[in-house]
Amino acid sequence: MQQDYIIEVEDLCFTRGEKMIFDHLNLKVPRGAISAVMGPSGTGKTTLLRVIGGQLRPDSGKVLLNGKNVCTMGREELFRARRDIGMLFQTSALFTDMNVFENVAFPLRVHTSLPEDTIRDLVLMKLNAVGLRGARDLRPSQLSGGMSRRVALARATALDPDLIMYDEPFTGQDPISMGVILTLIHELNDALGTSTLLVSHDIHETLSIADYLFVIADGKVIGEGTPDQLKANESKRIHQFMHGDPDGPVPFHYPADDLRFDLLSEVE
Amino acid sequence: MVSFLRRIGNRVLFRLEGLGRATMMWGLAMATLPRKGDMTLLFRQIYSIGVLSIAIIVLSAFAIGAVISLQFYTQLSRFGAEDAVGAGLALVLLRELGPVVTGLLFAGRAGSAITAEIGLMKTTEQLSIMEMMGVDPLRRIVAPRLWGGIISMPLLTAIFNVVGIYGGVVVGVYWLGADAGGFWSGMQDAVDVREDILKGMLKAAIFAVVVTWIAVFQGYDCEPTAEGMGRATTKTVVTSSVMILALDFFLTLSMYGDF
Repeated sequence: MQQDYIIEVEDLCFTRGEKMIFDHLNLKVPRGAISAVMGPSGTGKTTLLRVIGGQLRPDSGKVLLNGKNVCTMGREELFRARRDIGMLFQTSALFTDMNVFENVAFPLRVHTSLPEDTIRDLVLMKLNAVGLRGARDLRPSQLSGGMSRRVALARATALDPDLIMYDEPFTGQDPISMGVILTLIHELNDALGTSTLLVSHDIHETLSIADYLFVIADGKVIGEGTPDQLKANESKRIHQFMHGDPDGPVPFHYPADDLRFDLLSEVE
Repeated sequence: MVSFLRRIGNRVLFRLEGLGRATMMWGLAMATLPRKGDMTLLFRQIYSIGVLSIAIIVLSAFAIGAVISLQFYTQLSRFGAEDAVGAGLALVLLRELGPVVTGLLFAGRAGSAITAEIGLMKTTEQLSIMEMMGVDPLRRIVAPRLWGGIISMPLLTAIFNVVGIYGGVVVGVYWLGADAGGFWSGMQDAVDVREDILKGMLKAAIFAVVVTWIAVFQGYDCEPTAEGMGRATTKTVVTSSVMILALDFFLTLSMYGDF
């Protein structure tokens, strides 16, 4: 029986040094939908993706991926489970010793036994979808930031995974690329039945694409729902974030002493 | 006093933790079974670690062999013992300088390159994305470099020994005029395959494991920043060099010490 949720995070606690990143966080990502995690900087959105991917182990709690707890998986089991996940990092993380074509072909070569001409066709189709078929022979150092992102996106979708996680996919994109990426995320999700989890600051784009949203702050989910539900949410914190207000319950400043005290104190 | 002891304790714990992580990395990398395409990765590493180091090994070996021959000839000719030049040259190279100098050069050229390469891959999240694709970086990145280093360095040592002896012949026999027959027969009499050649190669194999392990671990464990990479590369060269010299003393003691 197919489950309703592809990811279920239960009572997740995670600390980094002295700082509590997640404090009994709970969220459930619906299968087949585009879900988004939003929140102010430093709230642990990227960390959440890494915990879901099993790259970081939480202090306590469960992360169920397709019903299996990622936190208790052994090394081999974890690597097997990750084959069903595609991930786009903020930094693109292209392999610098390979050209664009080889970067996209990498997961296909490692995880499948497809003949070379099939791999070639698949890679060219993926590159065509992100508008970079003509850049197949370029090295990563010859690409702009936005182009690198699109190559990384093509690579993340190469194996048509069950779940694709995007870390800030809209950052650094020009308006045309932005439109292409929005369309692509939508099409991948609908055509392949993929589930999508993206974290982003870009409220406008995220609201336009997401079926379901989570807003996290202070280590917890402070609001969730459809875009319309969140827009109508009367919580001051969610209102501040959705409208980008500098004043409100979510502090803009990192905790510090009074500015006057700092300015008048002696240089150490 | 208490804070001093605490500092020492923390430092010891930090070192032990590092050793534990290094051992874990070594064990996991070595335990991975080879898969389709792994041999290609290994040959690529043998090329970049080993083949590309041949030039520096050959140049250094020739110069060192030539200098040793010159020094031996100058001293021994005072006693009319020029025939012992070949024996002395071969023993010094096969037992000590071959493995030690090759190890030091290997740490400087290939070790630092391994650390910088893996460190950069970590800094640019290439290792992380590989993990997220379900590809184990210990199998794909670490294991081929470990095996590449372990295979390459003893071979480089053998090349060093041969070229070093040739350098000694050029200076001792062709230039200074030592008798070629005496030179070669003295060398043949003095060198024992097991005692000199095999034990020297055993040293080279041990140094290969140590240097490659240090180089790979420093890259894999480095702080993912520009400063972190710089520190890791320096640590690779310094730690490897010190380890080679220290280990050489103990290995020589256990192999040739007659106490």
